[in-house]
Amino acid sequence: MHEEPTTITERIAANPRPALVWLAVFLALFALEAGALIQGVIVLVERIIVLLPTEAGLSAVTGAKQAAAEIPTLISREVIPNYGYRTPDGAWVNTFPENLPYVDSGLEPKWAWLIRNVLAFGYAAALLGWILHGYNVFRREYREADWTPRDDALGRFRRHTWGKAGFVVVFLFITMAVFAPTLGPTTVDRNIVQPYSYELTYLNEETGELDTVTVGTANTESRSAGAGDQNFGPWSYDNYDRFHPFGTLPQGTDLYTFMASGARVSLFIGLLSIAISGTLAATFAMISAYYKGLVDLALVVTGDSIMSIPQLLLLILLSAVFAGHWLGEIYSGGLLLALIFGFSTWPFLWRAVRGPALQVSTEEWVDAARSYGQTPRKTMTKHMLPYVIGYLMVYASLFIGGIIITTSALSFLGGGLGVNSPTPEWGRAIAAGQDYVATQSWHVALIPGVLIVLVVTGFNAFGDGIRDAIDPESEAGEGETEIVGGGAG
Amino acid sequence: MSRWNYLLRRIALAIPVVIFATTMTFLIIRAGPQDPVLAILGPQSGTQAYHDIAVDLGIERRVNGEFVAVPLWEQYIDFVGSLFTGDFGQSWVIQRGAPVTDIIVARAPATIWLGFWSVIVALFIGIPLGFYAGLNPNTGGDYAASFFGIVWRAMPNFWLAVMLLATLANSQQLFGFSWQNLFIDTPVVLAGGAMELSFMYDPGLFIREPGQTLEQVAAAFKMVLPGALVLGSASMGNEMRIGRTAVLEAKNSNYVETAKAKGLHGRTIVWKHIFRNALIPLVPIITGEVFLLIGGSVLVEQVFVINGLGRLYFQAATNGDLPLIGSLTFFFIVITLSVNILQDVLYTLIDPRVGYEGE
Repeated sequence: MHEEPTTITERIAANPRPALVWLAVFLALFALEAGALIQGVIVLVERIIVLLPTEAGLSAVTGAKQAAAEIPTLISREVIPNYGYRTPDGAWVNTFPENLPYVDSGLEPKWAWLIRNVLAFGYAAALLGWILHGYNVFRREYREADWTPRDDALGRFRRHTWGKAGFVVVFLFITMAVFAPTLGPTTVDRNIVQPYSYELTYLNEETGELDTVTVGTANTESRSAGAGDQNFGPWSYDNYDRFHPFGTLPQGTDLYTFMASGARVSLFIGLLSIAISGTLAATFAMISAYYKGLVDLALVVTGDSIMSIPQLLLLILLSAVFAGHWLGEIYSGGLLLALIFGFSTWPFLWRAVRGPALQVSTEEWVDAARSYGQTPRKTMTKHMLPYVIGYLMVYASLFIGGIIITTSALSFLGGGLGVNSPTPEWGRAIAAGQDYVATQSWHVALIPGVLIVLVVTGFNAFGDGIRDAIDPESEAGEGETEIVGGGAG
Repeated sequence: MSRWNYLLRRIALAIPVVIFATTMTFLIIRAGPQDPVLAILGPQSGTQAYHDIAVDLGIERRVNGEFVAVPLWEQYIDFVGSLFTGDFGQSWVIQRGAPVTDIIVARAPATIWLGFWSVIVALFIGIPLGFYAGLNPNTGGDYAASFFGIVWRAMPNFWLAVMLLATLANSQQLFGFSWQNLFIDTPVVLAGGAMELSFMYDPGLFIREPGQTLEQVAAAFKMVLPGALVLGSASMGNEMRIGRTAVLEAKNSNYVETAKAKGLHGRTIVWKHIFRNALIPLVPIITGEVFLLIGGSVLVEQVFVINGLGRLYFQAATNGDLPLIGSLTFFFIVITLSVNILQDVLYTLIDPRVGYEGE
């Protein structure tokens, strides 16, 4: 007997329990961090309003920001603070846990910081796990088909150790970027942007009394400036009892805060540019595979022209031309960089998926769709795109690594290229530490470099894993991918 | 389609590409948000100086004593016309008044020397490692080589350069010998034209003063070696990976089986049948290195302070020398396209299957 297909809402209505259980736990998890999310959105809106010529709405947003700050958030520096100071009798004040009865001292700042970090990463892992579990619930309870090809791909990925390792690294990187304001022992604004607007209390060892000093002054006494000078290496306290998990920079700012915030910029640039270039590449691949002939040729010429200028040079050229332009001011140049990457990376991506797109365009089902009179647009999106999207993901993952490297390379070069001060970027940390590599302050250049290698290897491994999962026979993708970034790799 | 037709088609395609790419460069420089004249002069400048440079660049012209802006399309024809006829104009900031051609000639040897050795070093380390891994698959050596290749590829080359520079500068403490005084005395950071490359302009020196010139070559080689190692790093990883796959594929192919069945020596099979066929997929990797080299030379030359074209490009960009950047970009476009064509020629010569597949 022929069964009418049901919609997902009907299926959930028929058996609501698993879906409701899943949703309840998800909302509970979400509520823990809702305050941070709302605050993040408001800050974003505020940044956009500041760019607009009118001042209208700014006060409303500021009000909303204060209101949002009142929403309790589990993993925040308000709940688990690690600032604070020692009293002369050795107890820690203002560090986690604060004001508990029968507890007369907080934890040492490093433990407070560690607890917050472990919680943040643990929370992210729990959220991811629950979302994956949600897919399983959907598959078991609500999906009509018992088996789809995607199940096999997922199974293959699950057995792909290298790909999974890459996924873990990518996940940690994304978590670091998303939770950046919470993870650092201090904030970018307090420590890097306006250090002289904030004060801190500390125990003066000489007088044995509590003193106050601005963060800026404390920073100048916390520099890691190589041989014969002061140095505050990884996992150490400075003279103001501030904890530095990765040590300090030569300017005396905290390297971990710098790195976490830098991860955010890198991820922002990587994702935005891949979104732009991926959309362009997918669109052009569909059009060129569907119409072939002259359209394809025109795209080949356009793509080749863009690719004939080495990407790093194109980036340098465009950054120089946009120097002082308002577009270059947004996110300290991050947005401009993402746009340049987006519009100069698509030929590489398009080249990579052109083969699969041409292949699928010769399939019988595409021919059938065409002869049934389906519109070209519908044929492309429904019958061709799903086949190409997997390959696009593979290359997107591989290319993000190249984009992260190139972004840091430009920031390393400095001179107004790349992401500018005060927004942290990993390449600038390497530039700051390059004179101190062989001194006691080796950590300044070494840690960012090692992290870049890890993250890029992670993205590469993840891409390899997806490729083997969707197309176990292929060995494609070698050669073209590494050219992206134009030589920073 | 025959292979020669394929080649001709590829060459014909390069013409619109070079025109289109040059047009993009023109639009970025002349129609972009930055006024080329202001970039040269800086924000505070007299109007007279402004007009002088604008007229010289072809952005304005004098009509009856008034300065009138030249329409963009006329500027375009002028810009493209002079580039295609080999007139690269002059530098305005980096070396005021010097013809760009002269600057390129002065700076190119360092970059060529660096690029040459980075290709060679990458080839001589990457390919043997890859072939070794492919001939001994799934052994400890294979895993070690593969892992090394993967991590090597993910390393940002500027970071590698910074690390290598520091290591070499302190080799005395770290390894007990000093890199500076090893064999020939050379500095690690090559500031101020420490690298003497006059033999590249005048090969006659090898005959007239062979001893001194050879010493010069050796010193220049030693000075450029760390940079070449870094610049070649990305390609080295690629060559290793592709070399490994290619050897594995060739090893399991029918003709190798046949050769084995004929009772050929293991060594003959490796050299005559596996090695030669495995080289084919390496051609695009080797030519593709040009992209990596041109882009990467900016970073490596900046860290090691080598006065080459990459460093020139960076200096021109950060100092607002837009006319120089425009000409240099055109120069690099021509080079990359020439190498692409060279790659197609090589392919057509080595691989008879070209032109029959993928069309």
